[in-house]
Amino acid sequence: MSVRGPGFGSEPDGRPWGTGRADRIIFLLIVHLMLAGCSGALHRQWVDAGANLPARCQLDSAPFWPQKAFQCGPAALAMALTWSGISADPDTLAPEVFTASRKGSLQSAMIGSARRHGRVAYPVSDPETLLAEVCAGHPVIVLQNLGLSWRPIWHYALVVGYDANEGIVILHSGVTAYKRVSIKVFEKTWARSDYWGLLVLPPARLPATAAEDAYICAVLGIEKAGQWQAAVEGYKNALTRWPDNLAAHMGLGNSYYGLGDIESAETALRAATLRFPTRGSTFNNLAHILWTQGRQQAALDAARRAVELGGPLANVYRETLEKIQAGVDGERPCR
Amino acid sequence: MSMLRQTVKPVSVIVIISMLFVVVPYQSCLAALIGTETVIETARGRQARQQVKQILDRQELQKALKAQGVSAQEAKARVDALSDAEAVRLVEKLDQLPAGGDGLGAVIGAALVVFIVLLITDILGYTDVFTFVKKRHVR
Repeated sequence: MSVRGPGFGSEPDGRPWGTGRADRIIFLLIVHLMLAGCSGALHRQWVDAGANLPARCQLDSAPFWPQKAFQCGPAALAMALTWSGISADPDTLAPEVFTASRKGSLQSAMIGSARRHGRVAYPVSDPETLLAEVCAGHPVIVLQNLGLSWRPIWHYALVVGYDANEGIVILHSGVTAYKRVSIKVFEKTWARSDYWGLLVLPPARLPATAAEDAYICAVLGIEKAGQWQAAVEGYKNALTRWPDNLAAHMGLGNSYYGLGDIESAETALRAATLRFPTRGSTFNNLAHILWTQGRQQAALDAARRAVELGGPLANVYRETLEKIQAGVDGERPCR
Repeated sequence: MSMLRQTVKPVSVIVIISMLFVVVPYQSCLAALIGTETVIETARGRQARQQVKQILDRQELQKALKAQGVSAQEAKARVDALSDAEAVRLVEKLDQLPAGGDGLGAVIGAALVVFIVLLITDILGYTDVFTFVKKRHVR
């Protein structure tokens, strides 16, 4: 019997239980008690996940902060950020992640805060990735529901290790450092958040399980947060692994531009036009950079090339060309 | 009805004019430089979303965060750190998303039956609410 699928705390149609249905709850509890011995299938995925990994891993480099009431989000994030080399503590992070009226921290705020500190927020969403990252020395923030789906107790903790022989996951959680939780319990509490996990990494460090699209999107988040220098590092890092990623080339150029380093932006975008000679977007942005530098003729050439190449963004290329052709003095492109 | 229309009309004119002020200069700035996100979205074969819609979604999200007690400045910073795709996803279901807080207070305030249920599920290893419950280790 597999305990996956509709979770223990919800009916098959997903309707939450009301507290008034205590009789039914108790009945199901008895059934589950009787079936408890059958839940071996549950651990299959954890066993499979750890098949190619050491039997135990533990990180000692992640610091621990005991959380204050409702402040597990800032605490978990502070631990991860400090591990990544940013000096942070739960009190200073609280304004960035905590939402008072919800008495908690939303996942998006956790992600956003990591980015605002120039860190790559990379999603982790299954046991295999979790164990692999922990083994690679990367602590992972997880969102658990310690209660039941109809009585949720949402909680962030930091996974800092596991021991397959003992069947435990090791967490910095609540007020306990290196809390040892049985995999069975952890699986159930983590599954209720759809296995939501988050890596907080310095941009110069790739996740052990890095997937191209997911990583580029994670770096894009740093760029969005206006952390240009970190975004530059992230895109450079991405390009060492995936040198043919157009978005990373463009992102590098755009982030240099955001940083105000126009020369490096030009170099990056020129490299992009050489690697992707048929993509109008590279020429379009190069034209923009050249125009910023007041090099009208070179900008015109690049813009014309973009228009020739066309594509789904052709109307933008035409606008760029028209603007440069108009060549209004004093009108500089803005961001 | 006609009174309603009379009231609404000047308001919508003001809204339209202010929208023009907000949207037009922004658009002309962005038109020249193609953002990294647009490159990603285009590569995925998705049409770049309407800029106006994006701006509105972000504003709505900021408003929703403010309604939850986040300051205006902080709400803007939180929304700015999200990609368009993330902002759109969030604006649709902000209220339903979990906020991790580890509210033991939520349990303390709960009815006795909830306490007992959570205690039993804790002992069974389905939940992990009480630190004093020794969990069974199942391999």
